[in-house]
Amino acid sequence: MKKILIVDDEQDIVESLKFVLEASDYTCYCAYNGEDGLKLAKEIMPDLIILDVMMPKINGYKISRLLKYDSKYKNIPILMVTARSQEEDKLIGEETGVDEYITKPFDLDEVVRKVDQYLGSQVEK
Amino acid sequence: MIKILFASENAEDIARFSTIFSKNTYDFAVLSTQLQVLESVQIEMPDIIILDSSFNGAKQLTKQIKSLSDNNIIILYITNTPEPELLKLSNAFITKDMTDVLITSTVSVNLKTKNSLEKLSNSNKDLADSLYRLNALYSTSSNFAETLDKNKLISYMIEGLDKALSFSLTCTLSFCTEDEPVLLLNSLYEISDEILSAIKLRTILNYKNAFENPPYEIDEENLKVIKTVKYPGNRFTFSLFQYDNMFAPITLGENVFGCVEIFKDTSFSSDDATCFQTIARQAALPLKNATLYQEIKETNHKLEKLERLKSEFISIVSHELRTPLTSIKNSLDILKSGKCGDVTSNMEKFLDMAGRNVQRLSGIINDLLDLSKIEAGKMDFVFKDMNIHSVVDYVKSALSEVAKEHGLTLLAEETENLPDITADSQRLEQVLTNLVSNAIKFTPEGKNITIKTELINAADIKCHPYFEEDIKKLNGDYIMVSVIDEGIGIAEKDLLHAFDKFAQLENSLSRKVGGSGLGLPIAKQLLEAHQGTIWCDSTPDVGSAFHFAVPVAKVPAMN
Repeated sequence: MKKILIVDDEQDIVESLKFVLEASDYTCYCAYNGEDGLKLAKEIMPDLIILDVMMPKINGYKISRLLKYDSKYKNIPILMVTARSQEEDKLIGEETGVDEYITKPFDLDEVVRKVDQYLGSQVEK
Repeated sequence: MIKILFASENAEDIARFSTIFSKNTYDFAVLSTQLQVLESVQIEMPDIIILDSSFNGAKQLTKQIKSLSDNNIIILYITNTPEPELLKLSNAFITKDMTDVLITSTVSVNLKTKNSLEKLSNSNKDLADSLYRLNALYSTSSNFAETLDKNKLISYMIEGLDKALSFSLTCTLSFCTEDEPVLLLNSLYEISDEILSAIKLRTILNYKNAFENPPYEIDEENLKVIKTVKYPGNRFTFSLFQYDNMFAPITLGENVFGCVEIFKDTSFSSDDATCFQTIARQAALPLKNATLYQEIKETNHKLEKLERLKSEFISIVSHELRTPLTSIKNSLDILKSGKCGDVTSNMEKFLDMAGRNVQRLSGIINDLLDLSKIEAGKMDFVFKDMNIHSVVDYVKSALSEVAKEHGLTLLAEETENLPDITADSQRLEQVLTNLVSNAIKFTPEGKNITIKTELINAADIKCHPYFEEDIKKLNGDYIMVSVIDEGIGIAEKDLLHAFDKFAQLENSLSRKVGGSGLGLPIAKQLLEAHQGTIWCDSTPDVGSAFHFAVPVAKVPAMN
């Protein structure tokens, strides 16, 4: 089973994402702040990470940059969840290696579809 | 007494003239050398000089006398054949064979001439003085007009007083050059500490007498002094207080800006007093303007800050609102998906209701964010050459179903082959979607809603007088898009506010229909970003028509 790491300080959002992803047969790991998220990512080597931008301590962009610039983790796809949809944010995201954006309020089915896309293509390899 | 100087060496003549001018009305003097005559002219200043034409050095003497003052009257007593130049320089002539009466009347005629000349010269001098003063007043008032800085205004006033009155000392008590009252001393000479404290006391006393309700409590201790001395080498003594002085408050209505006292070692004329009062009064108006200007500036600053805070507030609140909304939506979606158990039709009905309202709330938040972005100038536009047809097409296909659900028919009456426009298609879709959604909300079942497109020149656009101002700004060819409904319409008095922020909240009817009330103000701002405009017409119970115009794209000139 594919492993997905969900990092968001908003517990309710983590909960709902976990529910739909587990229903689609993914194994979910959860972290509620950036620090734990980074630690967990290195520990479990997930197949995909869903990452919130606005988090205390280490924000989503920083985690993304730390992982994407490390050859060990750079192939893990990162889906960034953001409340903003401004162009400048997307530019920062590009620079830090974010693969995909999900803007709040998002559609759960859409998230599952995107996750399937990334992990499905990995299976084909 | 009329002073007559007779310059002659001839004893017989001297005797005769002495007799003629022996009456009390004359002060008659006889001098017989050139030097004596010159001295006397300078010291005694005779009214009339009678000069014997055979007097030794007569011509040179005449020249010298005239060079002392043009007003000196010389009557030439012709006793020989005088040189033509001597005749030219003299004012009148008398001869030996003239009678005594003729001689005295010649003298008195010339005396009159002299008096008239003197008067003329005096009034000329007065005229020059007035002109100078007028000039000083003029330059002061033009100085006043060019600044809104209170400090400068006060210093222009003092400068003007100096030009017009050339004072020895001015004491200006000013309430506007600093935060607290200041005594400005502009002085010719240095002032000792003793005189300074006397001046301070005097100014405070003047101030308390001049104003019924003094704006500041002032005492000798707290009154700050700024001294400007022109000639610091000299010192004023206490005799300063015996100088002539004038005092004036600087006020306009209830506004008190200070007061000014002026000292001079010679006495002031009534003209001086008028001039002084004029300048003090003239200073008050610009000072008042400057006060108002400062207040406006401060208020503006506060408003700008508030506006910024409001934008930031909306933006932060909107972001914070989105997070819990996402959780609610997620929960509803999960429940509806049946992954938590079977969903009965009643459950589905209420889940749908909750879902619809989440959608609505999220729409309002998006509107708020859009508006705050536009107002903060942070909205990004992607302008491309495009045809309005694609926008109409998109909106029609997106909303036809919704219209049908409301029992309405959505029609499009497009003009074919319309020229392109330079626009952000997404934003125009947003505007048109908003207009059509509104029409759907306000139109009863069974009616039509029509989207119309046409090419129109700005000059041919007809609109309600409320919107004429906006239309006047347009120029050239435009693509006009109209959304025409057969709905409840808008009362005339509400038309003007149709594009105001939160206008809908004022209207209880539309509150039932829902919406953020921000759709139209956003549309207006989006169109302004396109150099276009939006307006509407309506007849209550017949229907409304909303129109917007976007300029036709500039076709590059053919070479």
